[in-house]
Formats: sequence, structure tokens, C-alpha cells
Amino acid sequence: MAQALRRGLGGAFVIAMAGLSLGGVAIGAGGVSTVGINAVVYNNVRLKSAGAPQAHVAVVRERVGLGDEVQTGGRSQLQVLLLDKTTFTVGAGARVTIDRFVYDPSRGTRSMAASVVKGAFRFMSGRPDRAGTTSIRTPIASIGVRGTIVEGVVGPAAAEIAAGESAVGPRVRVDPATASLILLRGPGARTQGRLSPGAIDVTAGGRTVSVTQPMRAVFVPAAGMAPIGPFVISQRGYDGMRALFFPLLAQRLGLNIPGERPFTPYGNGQRNERPLPPVLYGYPGGDRPGRGPGYDTPGFPGSGQGFPDFPSEPQGGQGGQGQRTMSTTPQPAGQPSNAPSPKPSPTYSPQPSPSPTRVPGKP
Amino acid sequence: MAIRNGIAALCLVLLATPVMAQIDPLDELDSLAGASVDPGAGLVFARQQVVRGDLIGAVATTERIIALHPESDDALLFHASLLCRLDDPEGARAEIAELPAGRGGDWGPVVAACGPGIRRRG
Repeated sequence: MAQALRRGLGGAFVIAMAGLSLGGVAIGAGGVSTVGINAVVYNNVRLKSAGAPQAHVAVVRERVGLGDEVQTGGRSQLQVLLLDKTTFTVGAGARVTIDRFVYDPSRGTRSMAASVVKGAFRFMSGRPDRAGTTSIRTPIASIGVRGTIVEGVVGPAAAEIAAGESAVGPRVRVDPATASLILLRGPGARTQGRLSPGAIDVTAGGRTVSVTQPMRAVFVPAAGMAPIGPFVISQRGYDGMRALFFPLLAQRLGLNIPGERPFTPYGNGQRNERPLPPVLYGYPGGDRPGRGPGYDTPGFPGSGQGFPDFPSEPQGGQGGQGQRTMSTTPQPAGQPSNAPSPKPSPTYSPQPSPSPTRVPGKP
Repeated sequence: MAIRNGIAALCLVLLATPVMAQIDPLDELDSLAGASVDPGAGLVFARQQVVRGDLIGAVATTERIIALHPESDDALLFHASLLCRLDDPEGARAEIAELPAGRGGDWGPVVAACGPGIRRRG
């Protein structure tokens, strides 16, 4: 009987482990590999599955597949919870794809790669990277991540934030289309919770810069250029990053949202030390103080409703237009249940992707 | 004997099945996403995560609350306290500095994690 029990126990263990592995590793039966779910969707967020002709409106708890491209509009946000509980947040004006995700829960290992064409992203590891790798690519830099919290932004918003940082300043040659700002958020060396201190390696222009302390940033201005930094990000720079990830919070606190106006490098070799003008973004319902140019302002680039690259479809998200309702049932593509406003979206005229610019007077 | 072995194995598999069902990772992710819909319940859940030593999970939960309920000063303060636990006091100060003057909220966790000096706005 004891032998039989041992046999039975062994068989059950193998089955249980097989169930765990099949449930955890990003391998799907139908050729689609599920890597996680949409945990938070706000405003204009779309997913474009690999091979699909066009993107569909994302909804909360929708499954996210390997190779799905996340597309967000202005003042929009998506938080994806991956199978290993890693959190991948995509902020405003972004195009992000999870290219690789391999998770083995029995060994506690995860390997992941993501590419960020533009916009803001935030990666928060669900567990220490005991083995495996995590890498994030921007058009001009690659980021090696070691069990950590890291965030970044690619494009005009990165250029705008970096121009205000004393370690970078306005005289650096910048390509606003691809400029990449990466910020390590932790954990620090004395972290609690049995976590490993975070670290990132940013490689660009043939040079690698390691960052090991929270609130240290690295800026890559243009293709082929080496990273600048690490440097301590300023309060204003931090606020700008935060505004990209938390658009509702930015409205509440009156934070400037970088990248909403076309980026123009400050000319004449002088640094613009003036504080940014106050930007008052009104709550769409008008029930909060600070109403001003906001969602409904036509001709205000990135003002929340414009999708620069998408066909005209009803806009929505988790409550869009400031209504924070929770949608829990995935909808078929093209039938968004969370598009609350019948109003047409103002058109966002994207700025042409400029070539790297050089400030006059500088070699 | 063979029959008894088979029955024993079947019983163990049946016993293991609910365990396997409980740990379906996608169901668990759905639960996590749902836990932060209500800010009060979400903060309770985040505190439980801290007690279990899951600081990163607590940060993720709190960020979901902040994303949906930016008016929750308690969530913002609790998030700052988590940053201090993760040895990011500069980040915590930067977040505190964003809060409007005269704010309320539960300062207990943030003072406990960051020290009383955190109340002096950065």
C-alpha cells in the first residue's frame, strides 16, 4: 500500500507540475500566446494583435498576447499584468510590443523582451530575476533590466523633459522622434522585502551606462549617440514622467504633461530657465477646478482624444472622458463597450518625424 | 493491487485538482485587477500584500488605485511609504511634494516608513 501511495503521489505531482507549467509559460494552444491581462485601461488604448488588420479598443481583463502592439493616445494609460505578476504600464502616446515572454513558475524564472517605438513605459518586475533576462529596446537604445523598477519615455516628451535637466540642457543635439529617457526607480540597496537592488544597463552609440541608484536617469539624444548620465532627475522631470503615466493624477495636481506641444529645442545657445507656463487641464465634466484647454480643445496636439495613426473609430477606454467606470467583459474588436462619448475626436496632426536637429551656433 | 494503485492515484489527482484550479495564473491576475477598483478595499489588499512581504505587488496595486482614483490622498501617501521601503526616499519626497498644501490623508504609513522628516515637503 505504501508503494502504491508513492506511485500515486508521484503521478499526481507530475500532473500538477504540468498544469502549473502549461498555465504559466506563454505558450498557447491556438497559436496565440497569452502573456497577461489588461489590468487598467484609461482613455484611448488599443491593441493590435499580430497579423490583425487593425487595432481594437482595449478593455479591462482582456487577454494580452505575445506580439500584441499596444497603442495609446494622449492622456491615456494601460497597465498590463503579466503572468509572473510583472507590471508593464504604458503611458501616453505610446506604441509598445512585448516581443518575448517565457515564464517558468516552477523555477521562478522569466525572460522577457519588449520594444518601445514611442511613448512612456514603466516596467516593474513581479519577482527577482533569479535567472533569465529582461530587455527593453527603444529605436536608439537597449536597456538591460535586472529585477527592478524602471520607466522611460521615447519621443518628444523625452526631449522636452531632458531639455529641462541640468545634466543635459538644451544644447545637446536631439532627435525628438527617437530621443530616449530612462529612469531607474528602484529598489535601492537597502530595500526591504527580500528584494534585490535594481539596476539597468543602457546601451547606445556603442557605449553602455549602468545605473544602480533610484531616481537616476540616462538620456540618449539621438541615434548613434552615447547615453548621457546617469544624473539625478529633477522634481520637474519626475513630475513630467509621472504625468505621462497617471493622466488623471496630472489633471488633479495640475502637472504639465510633456510632449503635448511640439518640441522645439531652445535656440541661440541659451538655456530656457523660465518655468514652464502653468497648464490648466480641465476635467471634462467641468466639476473640478482648473478648467482650461483640455480634452475637448480642437487643435491642441495630444489633448487626449486624437490618435495620430489610427483610423477614425469611437474612442474609449476605461471610462474615457474622465468617467472612471470599470468594464470587465472583453468585447469583440470594433465594438467597444467603454466608449462613452459620441463626440467626434478632434484631429491630431502629427508632427513630421524630424531629422536630428542641431542648435544654431553649435558645431 | 493494480486496481488499488489506480484508485489511489485517481484520488490524489482529484485532490490536487482544486489546488491546480486555484493557481490558474490568469484567474489570479483577474483577481488582482479587480482588487483595486474600490480605493478603500484596494488599500486593504495592498496592506495585506505588504504583510506578506510582497512590496512590489503592493506598489502595483496602489498604482492601479492611483490610476483610477487620483483623488485618494491615502493611496498617494501609501505609495510614497512603499517607495521608502524600497529604499527610494527621493522618489517618496518627490511624490509628497506633488500633494496640494493642506492635504489630509493617512500619514501614518509614510511617517513610519520614511521618518517624520517626510512631512517637510521636498
